[in-house]
Amino acid sequence: MKKLIILLIVSISFSQVQAQVEHGNVLIKNGTVITITKGTFENTDVLVKDGKVSQIAKNIATPAGYKVIDATNKFVMPGIIDAHSHIALTGINEYSNAITPEVWTGDELNPFDISIYRALAGGVTVSHALHGSANSIGGESETIKHRYGTLDMNVLRMENAPRTIKFALGENPTGHGRRDGLQPQTRMGVEFVIREAFSEAKQYMEAWDKYNKEKLIKGFRGAPPTYSLRLETLADILKGNIIVHCHSYRADEINMLLKICKDFGVKRLVFQHVNEGFKVAPELAAAGAMASVFSDWWAYKLEVYYSTAYNAAILVRNGVVTSINSDSGELIRHLYHEAAKTQKYGGLSDDEALSLITINPAKQLGIDNRVGSLEVGKDADIAIFQNHPLSIYTIPMMTLVDGVVRFDREKDADDMRIYVDPKEVVDIPTLHAQDRSHDNCLRDAEKLTVKMFGIN
Amino acid sequence: MKKFYSYPFQRWALVMLFCWPLLLLAQDDVLAPVSRTYALTNATIVQAPGRKIEAATIVIKNGLIQSVGKGISIPPEAIIIKADSLFIYAGFIDGLSRTGVNKAKDDANKDRPKDPGNPTPERAGITPQYDVRPFLNPADKSMEEMRGVGFTAAHVVPYGGMLPGNGSVILLGGSSADAMIVSNKNSFYSELTPAERAYPATVMGVMAKYRDLYRQATLTKNYQGLYASNRSGLERPTSDRILEAFYPVIDKRQPVFFKAEKVLELQRILILQKELGFTLTLINLKEGWDMIPKVKASNAQVFLSLELPEEKKDEKKADDKKKDEAKKEEIKKEEKPKTANELEKEVLEKRRADFIAKYVGQAATYQKAGVKFGFSALTVKSKDIPANLRRMIAAGLSEDAALASLTTIPAEIFGLSDRLGSIDNGKIANLVISDKPYFNEKAKVRYVFVDGVLYKQEVTEEKKADPNAKVEIEGTWSVTTEIPQGKSETSLVIKKEGTTYSAKISGGQLPQPVDASSVVLEGNVLKIAYTATINGQTMDVKMEVTIDGNTFKGKTSVAAFGSFPVEGKKEPKL
Amino acid sequence: MKKKIQFLVSAFVLIAFVAQAQNPKAKSGTFALTHANIETVTKGVITDGTIIIQKGKITAVGTTVTVPSDATVIDCKGKWIYPGMIDGGTRLGLLEIGQIPQASDEDESGQVVPQMKALSAINPNSALIPVTRISGVTTVITAPGGGMFPGTAALINLHGYVPDQMFAGFEGVVMNFPNQARRGFYDRRTDEDIKKDVEKATKQMNDVWDKAIQYYKLDSATKGKGLIYYPEMTAFLPVIRGEQALMIEVNAANDIKAALKWVADKKIKKVIFTGVAEGWRFADEIAKAKIPVLVGPTLEEPARDYDRYDKPYANAGLLKKAGVKVALRTSQAENVRNLPYYAGFAATYGLGREEAMKAVTIVPAEIFGVADKFGSIEVGKVANVFVCDGDPFETKTNILHVFIDGWQMPMVSRQTLLYEEFLKRDPGLNKN
Repeated sequence: MKKLIILLIVSISFSQVQAQVEHGNVLIKNGTVITITKGTFENTDVLVKDGKVSQIAKNIATPAGYKVIDATNKFVMPGIIDAHSHIALTGINEYSNAITPEVWTGDELNPFDISIYRALAGGVTVSHALHGSANSIGGESETIKHRYGTLDMNVLRMENAPRTIKFALGENPTGHGRRDGLQPQTRMGVEFVIREAFSEAKQYMEAWDKYNKEKLIKGFRGAPPTYSLRLETLADILKGNIIVHCHSYRADEINMLLKICKDFGVKRLVFQHVNEGFKVAPELAAAGAMASVFSDWWAYKLEVYYSTAYNAAILVRNGVVTSINSDSGELIRHLYHEAAKTQKYGGLSDDEALSLITINPAKQLGIDNRVGSLEVGKDADIAIFQNHPLSIYTIPMMTLVDGVVRFDREKDADDMRIYVDPKEVVDIPTLHAQDRSHDNCLRDAEKLTVKMFGIN
Repeated sequence: MKKFYSYPFQRWALVMLFCWPLLLLAQDDVLAPVSRTYALTNATIVQAPGRKIEAATIVIKNGLIQSVGKGISIPPEAIIIKADSLFIYAGFIDGLSRTGVNKAKDDANKDRPKDPGNPTPERAGITPQYDVRPFLNPADKSMEEMRGVGFTAAHVVPYGGMLPGNGSVILLGGSSADAMIVSNKNSFYSELTPAERAYPATVMGVMAKYRDLYRQATLTKNYQGLYASNRSGLERPTSDRILEAFYPVIDKRQPVFFKAEKVLELQRILILQKELGFTLTLINLKEGWDMIPKVKASNAQVFLSLELPEEKKDEKKADDKKKDEAKKEEIKKEEKPKTANELEKEVLEKRRADFIAKYVGQAATYQKAGVKFGFSALTVKSKDIPANLRRMIAAGLSEDAALASLTTIPAEIFGLSDRLGSIDNGKIANLVISDKPYFNEKAKVRYVFVDGVLYKQEVTEEKKADPNAKVEIEGTWSVTTEIPQGKSETSLVIKKEGTTYSAKISGGQLPQPVDASSVVLEGNVLKIAYTATINGQTMDVKMEVTIDGNTFKGKTSVAAFGSFPVEGKKEPKL
Repeated sequence: MKKKIQFLVSAFVLIAFVAQAQNPKAKSGTFALTHANIETVTKGVITDGTIIIQKGKITAVGTTVTVPSDATVIDCKGKWIYPGMIDGGTRLGLLEIGQIPQASDEDESGQVVPQMKALSAINPNSALIPVTRISGVTTVITAPGGGMFPGTAALINLHGYVPDQMFAGFEGVVMNFPNQARRGFYDRRTDEDIKKDVEKATKQMNDVWDKAIQYYKLDSATKGKGLIYYPEMTAFLPVIRGEQALMIEVNAANDIKAALKWVADKKIKKVIFTGVAEGWRFADEIAKAKIPVLVGPTLEEPARDYDRYDKPYANAGLLKKAGVKVALRTSQAENVRNLPYYAGFAATYGLGREEAMKAVTIVPAEIFGVADKFGSIEVGKVANVFVCDGDPFETKTNILHVFIDGWQMPMVSRQTLLYEEFLKRDPGLNKN
C-alpha cells in the first residue's frame, strides 16, 4: 500500500518527459547586444556553448567547430517571451464545466503548428500555451520553447518550467454559465465557484493528510479518501505549486481575486489581459501580483470598453511586474512592435519597453532564472534584428532557441510546414482578417456561444 | 457572418432526409449443406508466409482442418471442390474493427445534457464495463463484405466514446453471437474521443479523465483487496462497474487497445502509457512512420490501418504517363513559360504526393525497422483493402510480410496461434481461396471458409455505363439509399410522355411527394435531380444510376454532404 | 528619454486641468505652424517652413510665408508636419463595441441592401473617434459589411457633430465578391461546401446585376419617371452610370481572378478592389486591369499554411511593384489609430517609406476622387494636417497637434483622460 501511494504521488505531478533536445554551439559576432538586465553593448560578441550563453564580450575568438553568425550592424537581444498565447495547441477550452483544473494543455501540444514558425519569425522563442477562458478555473497550461522542426510534442515543453493554470473572470465564464443555465452567470457567481473549489480542495487536502499520517501508525486499517485529479490539482494551487494566470478585465473582478487568493494563501498570481489593471495598480503592486496586458486592444466587448493603451505604462510606474502578450497567432509575430507602443503611450525607456516582452514575462512564468535576458549561464534563446527592435523599420533576421537557429530570414523556404495534409486542396485559403473574434481565449467554446447568442 | 453557422443544422437535416425506419435485412432461407466435410483438391496452398505447396489438398472436417498436403486421402463423405488453379490462404484476421457490431440503442442521443459538466457515464462515452457480445449481429452486412476480401476473423469492439468497452475475437460467420466468439475480453478498448458537447469535451479532457479513473481504480482495487483479507471493522467498499473494469488492466492481465491514428494521437497515448504503465496495443496507425523508436520503446503491439489516403485523381498508369510526357514534350516548344502560381502549385502538389507516399510506405517502413505489426480495418472501406495492400507492397512491403500481418501475427498477438493464422492440421478451418495469387491486381476471392462453413463469393461484373443500351425505366421503383446512419427506402415513379420522362419521389421523411426537377436517360444511365424540403431546410439531391434490367445501382449525392450508394428494384406491374 | 516623459506628463496634467472643467472643444481660426519640417507628399519636403491655415483651408505653405496678424502661432521647430492620414477601410462610427449587437450598426439584414447608407448611421460622438484622430488619422472610409451588397460606404473626416459635417465627398457601393475561402479558424466547411457556396453566390450575384442593368435601361428609357419603387436597384444606378465606384471586397486568389473577369464582362466603369489579401498572386493582372486597390490589413497571418510568413506585410509592396495603384486600410474600428504602423510594416517589407506614406495620403485621395481636397499639403487643400515629433510611422513618435477641416483638435481621448486619472491614483492604496 505504501508503495502504491508513493507511486501515485510520483505520477500525480505531470510526468516531465525527458525528451531529446538539441543544443547549439554558436558565436554571434559584432552586434549591438541588448542584454535587458545588464545594459546594451555595441560591437560585442555572444558565445553560446551547448545551448547556453557562456560569454558576452568584445572580440571573442571562435572556438573550433562553432557556427559563426555575423551580427555587424544588427541588434542582438534575448528571445521574446509571450506570456499568453494559444499557438501550438490542438484544443484550448474544456468548456463543459465551470471548474476543470484537471485538464492540461500540455496534452494538446501540436509541434506542427505553423504559427510556431511564424512566432519565431517575430523573434519569439518561448510562449505560454494557455488554456482558454470559457470557465472560471480552466486547465493547467504549458510553457513551451519554439523548437520548430521537432516532430515530438515533448520536445516543445520547456524542461522544468513551473506549473501554471488558467483562471477566468467576467464575461467569458458568466456567458458560459448563462448558456447552460448554471452558475456562474454573474461576477458574484464567479467568486463563489472559485471559493467553493478552493474550499473543497482544502478539505480534500486535509483528508489525505490525515489518512497519510494515520497510515503510518502500525496496524492502521481504513479507507483512503476518494481520489480526484480535479481536487488534487486545486490542492497543488493552495500549496503554492502552481502559478495562477487569470483572464480578467475589470478592476472589480481583479480586486475580487486578489482577496480570494489572500484568504486562501495563494501567492503566485498573474493577471492576464487585465485591461482595467491600471485602476487597481496600487492593489496589484501591494499584493505582488503581476500583469500581462495587450498593448492597445479594447472595445471588442463591453468589459474592455473603458480601457486605455496607457495601461502598461501606468502599471509599470506603479511597480507592477508587467508584460505585453499576444493571445493571437497574428500578434505574436510582432510583439517587439507591441512593446514599442508603450513608448508612445506612457514614454517607457527602451529597456523598460523591451523588458515587457523578455524578462518580465519570464518572471511571470517563473523562468527568469533561465531566459528573458542575455546573461552568462542562461539559455541561448536569442533574436537578431536588423535595426533597433523597437523601430517600425526593424526586421527580425534570425532566431535561435538553445543556440540552435530555428529561423533565418535569408534561408526561409516559403513552405515551412512539417507535415502535409494529404487531403489538402491547393486552392482554398483561410482569410483571418474576416475572422473578427479578437478573443482567442474562447476558441472551441466560441462556436457554441455564437450559436446560442448570435453574437460576433 | 451569422449565416455561416447554419451549417450544423443542415447536417441535422441530412439525417432527417434519410433517417427512415431501417430496413430489415431480408433473410433468405438457406438450406444447410449435406456434409460438414470438404476436400479442396489440387490447389496452390500457402499454409503460412513462406510455406507454399503446389497441387495439394486440404480436408476440412467438423470445422477444423483435418489434413493438408499432397496425396492425402479424401474421406468418402467429403464434398469435393476442385480447386485446380486456385490459391488457398489461411483466413485473414482483422486487428480491430466493428464488423458485425451494432450500435447501442441510445447512441444517437447527442443532445446537450442539462449539466454538460456532469453527464451520465454513457453520455460521456465512459463504458469500459461493456462487453461487445450483446452488440454482435451475425446477419450484419459488414461481415459479408469483409469475407468478400478474405477476412474470416476479427477483433471487434463496441461503439462508444473514450472507453467503449471490451473487445472479443470473433469469426466472421456463425449462427449466433455466441457461436462467433473465439476468445473474449481480449482488449480494454480506448480512444481519445471526446464526448460531444459534454465533459470531457476535448482531448485534454479525455486524457485527464483517463488519469483520474485509472488512479481511482488503482486505489479502490487496493482497498478492495485489503477489505477482502479482513472485513471486520472496515467500511464496505462500494461496487463500481466502471472502476472494476480497469482492474485487469492494472494487473496487466488485459492490454489496452488504443486507437492511435494520427501522429499526435500516438504521442499522447504513449505519454499516458508511460505515466500509468498499462500494456499497450496501438490500433489503426496511419501516421506512425516517424515514431518507430518511441513505439519500440513502449513495447506496444501494433496494428497499422488498412486505410490509405486517396491517390491523386489524375495519377495515371505508368504507360499512359509515358505517352502523356511524350506528348507534353512536343507541346512544350510552343508553350508559354509557367506562371509563378503554376510553379508554386506544382511544388505543393509534389510535396503532397511525397506525403501520401509516406502513408502508403508506412507498412514497409515498419517492416524495415523490424517492428511486427498486424492490420486493422477500423476505418477502411472493405472493398478498398486489396488495392491498398497492393499499394503498400508496391511501396516496398514484402508479400510475405503482408500475409503475415494478415494471418500469423494477429493470431500471435491475440494468443490464438494454436487455432488461427495458418493452414495446419487441427486449426479452425478459416480459409480464403482466390483465383489468382491474392496480391495480384486481378485476383478475386472465390470461396471463403469460416469455421468450416463455405461461403461462395459471387463474382458479378458491375453493369457498365453504355450510351447505346436501350432500357425500360417507366414504372415504380423501390429505392434503397445507404447512408452512414443506416438504410432508407423511397419510392420512385417514372412516367414517359412523348420522349421526355417525369419522376415523382415519395416516402420516408418527405412530407409529400416531390417532383423531380430533371430526369435524363442516356443509354442505360439514368440521372434524376430533385429538391427536398424538410423542416424548412431545402436540399438538392442528385441520383445517378446504371440500369440493369429491373434493378439499378449507383450513387445519390446530397449537396455538400457527399454521395451515398443507392440501389433500386422495379416493382412488378399490378 | 526621461525628459520626454516629464514633458509629456506635464503636458497631460495641463490638458487634464482643462478637461476637468469641461469637455474640450475644437478651435477654429487662423493658425500658423512655423519653423517645421513639412512633408508635403506631393511636392517634396520643406525644411524650416510655415503653413498657414485659414477658414479650413491651407492658404500658404513655404519658407517665405508671412504670418497673418490674427494667427495663432504654433512654433514647430524641430517638429514635422504631414497631411492627415486616410484609412481606406474601417468600421469607425458604425461599430462601437464589437461583441454587442446593440452597439454595432454595420451589418443590416439581407444579402442585397446597397441602399443602406453608412453615412446615416455614423455616430459622430463615438468614443473611438477621438482615440483615432489624435493619432494623426483624420479621414477614413467607413463601410458596412455582411451580405453580398451590404450598403454604401462613405469617406468621412473625424470631426463633426452630425454626419454631414464629417462627410468628405465620396461614397461607394460595397460588394462582397463570392468568397472561395475559409473565414477563420472556426470555419469548418469542407472544400466541397465552399465551392458549392461560391457557385450559389455567383449565380445570385449575376442575377442581381442583370436586374440592375434592366432597371438602369428602363430608368434611362423612362427618364426615371413611372418606375416602380425599387430602392435596391436605385442604389445601383450611379454605379452603372459610372458616377459612383463599386468597392469590391475580394481576397482569395481565385476570387480575384474571377472578379477581374466579372468586372470586365459587366463593363463596370468605376471599380475599387478592397482587402486583396492574396493580390500578390495576381498582381500583374490587377495592374493590367488598372483597378486601384485598398490593401489590408497588413498585420495579418498568411492565408495559407504554406505561404511565406511575411506575405501579408509584403503584399502592398508586391502589388505596387507590379504597377497597381495601392492605398492601405486597417479594416479596424477601435484601432484605426494603428494605420501608421500598418503603413510602416508595408514600408519595411517592400513598399518603401515614401510609397507607404503616399498609400495613406494622396493615393487614397486620388482613388476616392478627392485629391483636389485631401492627401497632401498644398495651398488650397482642406487643412487636414498633423504635427509630430518624428517619423509618424515610428511607433514612439508623438502626435502633438491635429487639424481637421482647419479646426484644431483637442489632443484628448477617453484613453488619455484615464491615463491622467490613474497614473498616480488618488487615493492610492490607503484612503485615509
